[in-house]
Amino acid sequence: MNRILFAIDALSTWVGKAFAWSIVVLTLAIVWEVFSRYVLKTPTDWAFDVSYMLYGTLFMMAGAYTLSRNGHVRGDFLYRQWSPRTQAGLDLVLYVLFFFPGILALIYAGFGFAKMSWMFNEHSSNSPNGPPLYHFKTLIPITGVLMLLQGLAEAARCVICLRTGQWPQRLHDVEELEKVILEQKAHERGEVA
Amino acid sequence: MTDPQLGVFMLALFVVAIMLGFPIAFTLMALGVGFGYMAMGDTVFQLVVQRTYSVMANDVLISVPLFVFMGYIIERANILDRLFKSLLLAASGLPGALAVATLVTCALFATATGIVGAVVTLMGLLAFPAMLRYGYDERLAAGVICAGGCLGILIPPSVMLILYGATAGVSVVKLYAGAFFPGLMLAGLYIAYVMIRAWLNPSLAPPLPKAERNVPLGTVLGGLATSFVPLAFLIASVLGAILFGLATPSEAAAIGALGSVFLAAVYRSLDFRKLKESVFLTARTSAMVCWLFVGSFIFSSIFAYLGGQAVIEKFVLDLDLTPLTFLLLTQLIIFVLGWPLEWTEIIIIFVPIFLPLLKHFDIDPLFFGLLIALNIQTSFLSPPVAMAPFYLKGVAPAHVSINQIFRGVMPFMGLVLVAMALFYTFPGIGMWLPEYLYR
Amino acid sequence: APSVSRAQTVSWKFQSTWPTKDIFHEFAVDFARRVNEMAGGRLKLDVLAAGAVVPAFQMQDAVNAGILDGGHGVCAYWYGKHKAFSLFGTPPALGWNATNFLGWFHYGGGEKLYNELVNDILKLNIVGFLSAPMPTQPLGWFKKEIKSADDLKNLKYRTVGLSADLFKEMGAAVTILAGGEIVPAMDRGLLDAAEFNNPSSDFLLGFADVSKFYMVQSYHQSAESFEIIFNKRKYDALPAELRAIIKYASEAASSDMIWKALDRYSKDLEELKKKGVNVVKTPDSVLDAQLKAWDKVIEAQSKEAFFAKVIASQKEWAKRTLAYERANNVSGDMAYKHFFG
Ligand code: NA
Ligand code: NA
Repeated sequence: MNRILFAIDALSTWVGKAFAWSIVVLTLAIVWEVFSRYVLKTPTDWAFDVSYMLYGTLFMMAGAYTLSRNGHVRGDFLYRQWSPRTQAGLDLVLYVLFFFPGILALIYAGFGFAKMSWMFNEHSSNSPNGPPLYHFKTLIPITGVLMLLQGLAEAARCVICLRTGQWPQRLHDVEELEKVILEQKAHERGEVA
Repeated sequence: MTDPQLGVFMLALFVVAIMLGFPIAFTLMALGVGFGYMAMGDTVFQLVVQRTYSVMANDVLISVPLFVFMGYIIERANILDRLFKSLLLAASGLPGALAVATLVTCALFATATGIVGAVVTLMGLLAFPAMLRYGYDERLAAGVICAGGCLGILIPPSVMLILYGATAGVSVVKLYAGAFFPGLMLAGLYIAYVMIRAWLNPSLAPPLPKAERNVPLGTVLGGLATSFVPLAFLIASVLGAILFGLATPSEAAAIGALGSVFLAAVYRSLDFRKLKESVFLTARTSAMVCWLFVGSFIFSSIFAYLGGQAVIEKFVLDLDLTPLTFLLLTQLIIFVLGWPLEWTEIIIIFVPIFLPLLKHFDIDPLFFGLLIALNIQTSFLSPPVAMAPFYLKGVAPAHVSINQIFRGVMPFMGLVLVAMALFYTFPGIGMWLPEYLYR
Repeated sequence: APSVSRAQTVSWKFQSTWPTKDIFHEFAVDFARRVNEMAGGRLKLDVLAAGAVVPAFQMQDAVNAGILDGGHGVCAYWYGKHKAFSLFGTPPALGWNATNFLGWFHYGGGEKLYNELVNDILKLNIVGFLSAPMPTQPLGWFKKEIKSADDLKNLKYRTVGLSADLFKEMGAAVTILAGGEIVPAMDRGLLDAAEFNNPSSDFLLGFADVSKFYMVQSYHQSAESFEIIFNKRKYDALPAELRAIIKYASEAASSDMIWKALDRYSKDLEELKKKGVNVVKTPDSVLDAQLKAWDKVIEAQSKEAFFAKVIASQKEWAKRTLAYERANNVSGDMAYKHFFG
């Protein structure tokens, strides 16, 4: 079971990390636009389209990766007081009620939305030679599928936790500095992280 | 139930649902889909997709990942201790020198690192033990670190102001110009408060030993030149480019991100591993923020479609409030929401409910946003959900209790309220700069 | 299903692509009022401003999907789906004005071509009405007076639709921003110049605060009109008399818009002058360069068969009707000079 969960995590993580590099491309693209405007005196007509596409790609494709790291913000002031079993039971119910309907909508209606765009051969209307939009719009159903897979993995984790009373381990990944420091401190004190 | 009643019910249900601790982005999405299905049937699925696309093509939010990226690079570049040490040399003669140096370090560093809570933990490791060693009162020391560590969210460039700009349709540039002096004012209030208390009662914050006070000027300047100046220059050029109209916020953020990579490289504290970590964390933080927008765009357009917004508006207008009571009421609500919730939820989900009412009360959304920005500072400090005290507790020596930290933080929350009152009485503190620059 | 008592009234969400304060939103409200009053409570258009349900550029998608029931905008906004869309909103300057262009739409075969594009080529679930002929749009707002076509080179300039292709052809760096973003962007130096539409809208958007030269007369958008659209499935399901009310309301609003625009645009041009704006006529050399650039744009786009078909139909109509107008209509100039100097 854990092997399958880790495989799904690995897929989400791989996709998320691959597209995370968009931030570097985005940085360079915008800096280039500023350079060509002030130094070369020939502003580009693609910078605007390229910017939002890279930004949109970045956060969409990192959605499942973030979910796999439990990184979507929760209103957890009560949640964190509960036992893992209680957390898992409630999470499981809410994955079914709150998570899957919206994600299925992204897949189902997103597919139609992208299909239309491909059919029109739709280009951006933000500049005269606007780049194609259909790839960008296709990210919606793709993201939906990735989120669905990751959501199933998270739901399975809830089931495991309900059985064992403990949240299953996740693979190691880079963490926020404060979390790393806090864990180190806890470790030094001999507490369980 | 009529549509508008459904809308109000949806909002009430959300307030309950948020407490279940499920990721908020999907809670919002689910309520939107559910209630939308009751109102418009299958079409709601199309709406979900179109609202998602609205977030993807939103040109204001482009600067979010860029500023976050810049923050991670600077945070991982180990320049914090350098900065703190040189500022401490510079402040060594002042009452409460360590606390003053901590606050200035926090203000400057937090400015560059945007939304993350790293400042509190880093300063908690660096400055907090030092203060305790020199005999500082634990509560005062804790208050300084927690309050200082949160300043970055207020002093521009701040991700929070971008989110408010995207939500309220207020120019981010004007928000940055507007938040500049209120941010400095709050930092100034903190510093003044610490110095006065240290001066009145030196046992709270004893002066440094004589040997450490008489630092030669050359050493001070040398220290500042290699730590304070480069970072301050980077931040000033990013802010200056935005405020003086040379670049959009996203352009300035991109330049700042590239600049921070250079800065980190010059300090020889950047390697490929750290760059990679920053890239991956940027993706996760951006996804967290932007998916919250996806959820809230879906939720709020169904809320508007059902006419829930109109009901709330009618209710508030029927109360026949004066602009002042309306302002006090909204700020009180935001203040109270700040205890259980974090700032992202407040800005993205609750603030939009008040926005359409501003026109009726003739309140400038820019002014309102700046007041909220000040107010939100308290949400980091107030129990039970208080990011800063918890982080500090995590790194503090075991004998420091969370209650001590919370008590230490209270006077600083009071100072935030003082700052709000000052800003309300003298709106020019925030409104002068944007009017001067953009009129 | 909604449980409000709607037994008698069909209530429709109708979103414009304009901010509330723009006179364009007022035109959308004018149309809706005509429908609502004539329908005697059996059909009610609920007018929303841009962004209320979806942003301006997503209005068509939303109507197509049925999220919105209808909307008020311009065809140029959809030119990312097909460049020919712009021909039904803001066609090349063939010498015609927008009233003549609407004549082509109703009597010269335009409507049939429009339906071919919307329903056959793009397969959109939409029914559309062109309404409200706009006066010639000014070349726009500049920081320095434009004295020759060279002054447009590498200028960061905002426009929409085929006009974007035109200015790119003339060497400008064309950017497209939403209406409310134009003025802040000019203020910050991100745009050197921009056009929006008319003295009233331009006045409200605050152009006069950021630039001092208002160049009037231009061939970039000399014949634009609004487009009013509805979800076709819902429209077709209406009783015949309500469908007729919508159609005729679009025609009535069209006339009303001409009259109101004359009143308001002329007053606001005077207001702009009072604010110290230099209103300058675009030099003939620039107008000439625009026409030559139109040749290239038309040639480049006509590689696509449907685009070429629409252009041919427009040219055929314009050639005949303009010949009549040129032969028949007496010049207003001479009389104006006689009476008003
Ligand atoms: Na709090
Ligand atoms: Na125009």
